[in-house]
Amino acid sequence: MDTIEDIFESSLNLEETHFQQGYDEGYADGLISGKEEGREVGLKTGFEVGEELGFYRGCVDVWSSAIRVDPNCISIRIQKTIKQMDDLLHKYPISEPENEAVSDIIDSLRLKFRAICASLNVKLEYSGYPKASDAGNIEF
Amino acid sequence: MNFADEDYELKEVQRLEGHTDRVWGLAWKPAAGVDGVPSVLASCSGDKTVRIWEQSASTGSFQCKAVLEDTHNRTVRSCAWSPSGKLLATASFDATTAIWENVGGDFDCVSTLEGHENEVKSVSWNASGSLLATCGRDKSVWIWEVLPHNEFECVSVLQGHTQDVKMVQWHPSMDILFSCSYDNTIKVWSEDGDNDDWHCVQTLGESNSGHTSTVWALSFNASGDKMVSCSDDLTIKVWGTDIKRMQSGDGNVTWTHLSTLSGYHDRTIFSVHWSRDGIISSGAADDAIRLFVENEDGSVDQPSYKLLLKKEKAHDMDINSVQWSSMENRRLASASDDGTVKIWELGSSLGQKKQSM
Repeated sequence: MDTIEDIFESSLNLEETHFQQGYDEGYADGLISGKEEGREVGLKTGFEVGEELGFYRGCVDVWSSAIRVDPNCISIRIQKTIKQMDDLLHKYPISEPENEAVSDIIDSLRLKFRAICASLNVKLEYSGYPKASDAGNIEF
Repeated sequence: MNFADEDYELKEVQRLEGHTDRVWGLAWKPAAGVDGVPSVLASCSGDKTVRIWEQSASTGSFQCKAVLEDTHNRTVRSCAWSPSGKLLATASFDATTAIWENVGGDFDCVSTLEGHENEVKSVSWNASGSLLATCGRDKSVWIWEVLPHNEFECVSVLQGHTQDVKMVQWHPSMDILFSCSYDNTIKVWSEDGDNDDWHCVQTLGESNSGHTSTVWALSFNASGDKMVSCSDDLTIKVWGTDIKRMQSGDGNVTWTHLSTLSGYHDRTIFSVHWSRDGIISSGAADDAIRLFVENEDGSVDQPSYKLLLKKEKAHDMDINSVQWSSMENRRLASASDDGTVKIWELGSSLGQKKQSM
């Protein structure tokens, strides 16, 4: 009885066996390509974040040294905002991309940067900065 | 004021021509029109200019006294006088806000505020004239402080709206800012302490009985305890707050929905303005002006409003702005896509009626 059942079992479970084999192969491939893709995205995103943070860091450093040379060259309010940007840049959890504070800090940095530029009447723009408005928005 | 027993009519007093494109916005100069100071109205247009209209003391008619041009290179969408009437702020699709100083009969552009990424849609001065707010298509609201020598410093850039911000308006007595947007909401912004720390304290949206489509404009009543808003959803809504608690510095005072005026409009309502003596005017895409007053006979807790009159064909095209004069109680100005500005007087038609009886 047992041997006869065994003979038929392999053909009865043909579909299931092939499914399992295919699934295992696909899973193994997926692990490899997923990891590769993750690495690509990580490199790209990491570079972008680093580039934007570095841009702000550079601006803050130049403004801060200008203030050290002449404390009256920039108004108290803007000096305060520059200091706030400095603090945010220190606080940014660079090695914790999944930290939820990340998006709040980058939003806050962008707004403060725009406020400072407007008050100083300078036209500085980080080229990678995403525009707030969609191109398709209606115009009136 | 009781509007119940009289019949009213809106009489066209004058039609102001000069703009060569649609007229978007209007602003009556404050502290003018009394004590021998002539009434002055500013209008801004798609023709990139602002026109200053002054009432002649002898004839009583309005004449174009100045054309503010060659500064904005795109549509001027909104204009607002500072409370003293010395400065005029103009918001343009060219991404800038210009500040004009009124020296004698001339207007000089004394400052240009840059910061918005693209179209600036609205500009508003606070009650003391120390702060200026702007908003625009980049979804942001900006607050600027007015410094001596016509310098302006950015106090805060506020982000919260998810779409184009159509209008900013300061509360008439307190430093609380209101903005309304293509995202169907009204947002209330206030400062936390004295720290330039402005943030959104309330969002009036669909879940608070708010609008279900673009909110185009808002306006306050004279005492500042009520606000009216108008929308693409064809309704006008009245909101209320506890003004005494708010003035005592209670930061948690919220605005609540009081009344919805629906069934009166069948096209988008672009403009709404509350007069000092309590008349709400609306300007809409159906070319008509409507006036509403509070129902005095209602015994219900919530105020209700009734249509006082509807002026059909007030303009040949969409009406973009209606503004009551700040001094002459019953004088209204309207601006339209037809390129004209009209001056109206609200009068009683009771006299004629009595004669015929």
